[in-house]
Amino acid sequence: MIKKPQLNNKPVKPDNSNLIPIANFENVILGRQRVREMMNSLGFSLLDQTRIVTAVSELARNIVVHAGGCGEMIISAIEKNNKKGIECIFKDQGKGIADVNMALQKGFSTSNSLGLGLSGAKNLCQEFEINSVVGKGTQVTIREWVKR
Amino acid sequence: MSNINLKVADILDKNREALLDSWQQQLIVNTRVLVSEVGFNSIKSYSEQVLLSFIDSLTQDLSAEEDRFSQTRVLLKEFIAKIDFNNVDFVEVVNFILTLKSSVTNLLIKESDACISESILNLTSWFDDLTFYIFSICIETRESLIREQQRAFMDVSVPVVRLWNQILMIPLVGMLDSSRTQQMMETMLGALEDYQSRVAILDISGIPVVDTLVARHLITAASAARLMGAECIITGVRARISQTLVQLGVDLSGFITRSTLADGFATALKITGQQIG
Repeated sequence: MIKKPQLNNKPVKPDNSNLIPIANFENVILGRQRVREMMNSLGFSLLDQTRIVTAVSELARNIVVHAGGCGEMIISAIEKNNKKGIECIFKDQGKGIADVNMALQKGFSTSNSLGLGLSGAKNLCQEFEINSVVGKGTQVTIREWVKR
Repeated sequence: MSNINLKVADILDKNREALLDSWQQQLIVNTRVLVSEVGFNSIKSYSEQVLLSFIDSLTQDLSAEEDRFSQTRVLLKEFIAKIDFNNVDFVEVVNFILTLKSSVTNLLIKESDACISESILNLTSWFDDLTFYIFSICIETRESLIREQQRAFMDVSVPVVRLWNQILMIPLVGMLDSSRTQQMMETMLGALEDYQSRVAILDISGIPVVDTLVARHLITAASAARLMGAECIITGVRARISQTLVQLGVDLSGFITRSTLADGFATALKITGQQIG
């Protein structure tokens, strides 16, 4: 006889650090929801939430579209100088970006898109870092601090 | 090999009544919800049939590739089809077969002779096989339910509402992916033609995140409507969305946008030269 596994009944605790594999568009939605939840609990305004969730949507979707879904995002609550914030890291093992400055220009696109995703995401966040190695992959880190 | 199977079949057949009795008792104890859901009489008749077909399969002389339990599987599938998975836990359905396993094992140990270890070994692999089969049907059932729900969801996702003479409204809800955009465009363009409408209002109040992908889809739809001589009004552009779109660098200035559907409707009436009341 087997007993019902207890796993189902345990509520998933919102962890301090959250890793979400990004393989398809459903994962992108999950990532957005997680970020929204965490920002809500950290006390971000609705406008801030909308801005960052939109940026997250762009960056996570880039993993699906450009890296073939080989990547992940890591969400963490961070603190510096008594300020609370959120950090999202987007890592992929895609083909990398040869010219990051070119990719950050408005209207540059290698897919059939508006070409505003990466530059837009940069505009939407307080802190934005991008590292890319051709053939290895890309890592984008964004941070946003609660305004007081 | 088949000799042992025949022996087991013989033992089971001789003690069939007792076996059935012990199985049914275990079912009542271990699968209470299942029994009350399916009904005791139904469980009783199914357990009897399953046991008979199980014993029968042991007597068959088969090659390795042939499925020994094809008959039993048919019965199990039929039985599972009657279960409403909203009420019954998967584990109870699996226990339906596992309780038989424990009854049979107990019986064989009681009737033990020299070949008992080998027969129990066989028994284990048979029941593992049947257990996995039940699991796979359960999962299949659930997956087909999910597929159905997805289809149902897609169906309601893009309604076209005729708000007024020459004015259509398409409320967009949830995630606007390529297939839904395609569907939205088709329904919208079809409706523009059918109703001879001049204005289509795309309401994005129900879209949680308006990013560049959603923006591109909206621009595509609005351009297509324009080609048919209709004007597209995008409504539901809330303050935080407009600010986000500007920072993203999305240019919607070529299109009529309004923050509320009411505003958009007023504009549509003006465009078509109509008045209410």
